[in-house]
Amino acid sequence: MIEMRNINKRFDAVVALQDAGLTIRDGEIMALLGSNGSGKSTLIKILAGVYGANSGEILMDGKKVTINSGFDSKNLGIATAFQEMSLIPTMSVIDNMLLGKEPTKGPGFVDHSQAKAEVQALLDRFHIVCDLDDYVNTLMPSTQYLLELAKAIATKPKVLLLDEVTAALHADEVDTAFQILRELKAEGVGMVYVTHRMKEIYEICDRATIMRNGQTITEAPVSELSLNDVVYYMTGARIDQNVGSAVSEEYNTEGAELMFEAKDVRLFPRIKDISMKVYKGEIVGIGGLEGQGQSEFIRSVLGSYHFEEGTVMYDGKTVSFKNPSEAVNADIGFVSGDRSRESIFKDRTISENLFAGRAVRGALFAFLSSKMVDKFSAEAVEKYKIRIGSLAHAAKSLSGGNQQKLAVARWIASQPKLLLLDDPTKGIDVHSRQEIHEILKGCAAEGMTIIVTSSDTDELISLADRVYIFYDGRVSGEFAGQAKNNENISAAMMGITSGKEEA
Amino acid sequence: MQKIKDAFKRFYKQPAFTGFILFMIVLILNLIFEPPAKFFSLNYLNSLFVSNTPFLLVTLGQGILMLAGLLDCSIGMQVALVNVISIMTVQEWGIPIWMGWILAILGAIAASALIGALESAVGLPSFLCSYAMTTVIKGVNVLIMPIEQGKVPKAVYKVYHNPLGGIFPTAAIIFFAVLILLYLISRTKFWKHVYAVGGNRQNAYAAGINAVGTQMKASILKGVVVGIAGICLTLMSASGNPIQCEEYGMRSLAACIMGGMGWGGWGSIGCATFGGWFYVLISNFVYYLFTWLAKIIPGFKVSSYYNNLAADVIVFLGLLVTVITNKRQRKSLKQGINETLKQLSKEEEKEDK
Repeated sequence: MIEMRNINKRFDAVVALQDAGLTIRDGEIMALLGSNGSGKSTLIKILAGVYGANSGEILMDGKKVTINSGFDSKNLGIATAFQEMSLIPTMSVIDNMLLGKEPTKGPGFVDHSQAKAEVQALLDRFHIVCDLDDYVNTLMPSTQYLLELAKAIATKPKVLLLDEVTAALHADEVDTAFQILRELKAEGVGMVYVTHRMKEIYEICDRATIMRNGQTITEAPVSELSLNDVVYYMTGARIDQNVGSAVSEEYNTEGAELMFEAKDVRLFPRIKDISMKVYKGEIVGIGGLEGQGQSEFIRSVLGSYHFEEGTVMYDGKTVSFKNPSEAVNADIGFVSGDRSRESIFKDRTISENLFAGRAVRGALFAFLSSKMVDKFSAEAVEKYKIRIGSLAHAAKSLSGGNQQKLAVARWIASQPKLLLLDDPTKGIDVHSRQEIHEILKGCAAEGMTIIVTSSDTDELISLADRVYIFYDGRVSGEFAGQAKNNENISAAMMGITSGKEEA
Repeated sequence: MQKIKDAFKRFYKQPAFTGFILFMIVLILNLIFEPPAKFFSLNYLNSLFVSNTPFLLVTLGQGILMLAGLLDCSIGMQVALVNVISIMTVQEWGIPIWMGWILAILGAIAASALIGALESAVGLPSFLCSYAMTTVIKGVNVLIMPIEQGKVPKAVYKVYHNPLGGIFPTAAIIFFAVLILLYLISRTKFWKHVYAVGGNRQNAYAAGINAVGTQMKASILKGVVVGIAGICLTLMSASGNPIQCEEYGMRSLAACIMGGMGWGGWGSIGCATFGGWFYVLISNFVYYLFTWLAKIIPGFKVSSYYNNLAADVIVFLGLLVTVITNKRQRKSLKQGINETLKQLSKEEEKEDK
């Protein structure tokens, strides 16, 4: 059995874990629960040797152990099946399953017949149907994931860490996987299961550890926890029994001009059926756990991806942008939370960065004086309070928060009718976040329409007029006014509507 | 029959398949000009192997590196290094020829290990690092042998130039010996690790594989193969030249890609073999084509420059075809997977209802 005690972990200034703890008993499946950013992933990654803890101790069978790397973790008999695949896509199934522990005969030759027998037995146990010589990158994602699981179990671990095992699997494969987990349990293997699917916790787990804000809040047998309790421990408040009852009455849309409407849009595999309306001058938030289709939705509106079904209405017309450039020319702006990849040109100057949004419009070879660019940028810097040394400095000289303000200011300065933001305040300081909120609210008051996704519930509550929650590619809740509170949103994020979980 | 079908199916899935097809096409083109009876005659094959074994071996060496996720543009200059050491040590120090050869092969191993270390352990970008090393090795070559000189005793190079016992080309024996050696190595644990490291270094490391160690071993193995290639070159030319074979670097890379290899962890020694032969036979074909054109068109005469141009254009087209077909294959595969997934999720939805 493993016990983690008083684990602390900081990423720069952000405290991810604060005196967190976790106990894994032999032959027991422990559910590890918590909302986004509660620290549950960090906690099991410390156990897997991916991160090192700043302080705290890990005991194994009562003895203190140190885990500094993946090797240490493996040597202690801890195996992991994470969603980030450890398989090598360009190698065959058989080579992957035995990688690093190939059976040999003679001077280092791989014993092919024994290898085949070993791997085939493993595949049979998991009901995986594939040719042993198939390359892994030609298999379906769910098969790859089962292989990942099979590979972890093949090491005969004492402890198995599972992260969202079932997210990639189909119903019958989930049954197989659970059957195997039960067998392992009977063999005395201790397991930690991180998941967002409540139904599965009741089906397979024995005990649950619930985390909030980097702290371990409670640990109890699953049978003693109701759904209501789980949400309570995760958010600190009880579920309102009227959860999910559409928009609360007090939200008045009469007289408002409909600016954007998505109707039954789908994009395989992430977006299954989403409809939403956004009115002029409104800030609409999109929330949900990671990977429920939020960023795909935003990017499909922008024309970076394309919806397969359904229609999008924008500014009175049905639209389907071929690429983001078309969308920008139709007065849509887009701010990504992924600064380094999708918004900031870090080696270019601040004024160039600010002007970039404007530069897309107009003729390609139109004359552009540096005076014009600087004037435009100087105004933007002053208006949006971006703390800079000089306009001519490189964007990377700014702090993350100011860089993000730069990205927001870039688009706002070009006055789009609709501004799309994908988790714009991810990983930036509280103060900059506050300022970005104020900028956005100011713009909305002047008539700009804003759609913003966020992984942070508090941000959704304080920033958005109305919030849609995505769960598994569908809208699981829509809240405004009083109903737009932490408990309701958290419950909808877990797919719980009206106090019950969606099947 | 079923067995043959299955075997073909398996081969069709192999990365070497495109290389094999290209090889067959160009072989047939060659046979148009040289009837099989002549093409497959002992003399003809002998001369083909004599002049091309150095390049074919270099391509195998490059293939080993590419599988391990490295590459080496200076591989051609290393062949010249072997040539230079094997000639000069014997000429200047008066040591026996075989001893000079061993020193020369050790030289190739040292150069390969150095470049392997710079790319793998230090982490320099492979292409730039090995490109820069081309100049460095050239400099070393010229230091050892300032101008073209030296010779190999006739009794020694005759063995390479003539079929062994009048039955089988000696050069071919060397080529196939290296191929068999690599085949044996390909059945070891080490080889699996080469693929793993080339395919995804991080994941290989997480599986407990020493990534740097594996890449270093692959570099040294490539050094041995390059050493043998250099000895073959020395026997072929029977003289020393410090600045020859530079073009082998890029050509061997192109040959490997055409044979179906990817950048790191994708492909096989078969890819390098077929790719190398494709390159050799293309030059052959273009030579025939131009000679034939000169015969039927009065006054048609072109310099060898145009021979090379035509050959390289064909190679470029070959590369284009390989890259495009690979892309298509991947795309259709992805679509297929997506379609199946959609089908499944629809079925699940129905069941739910």
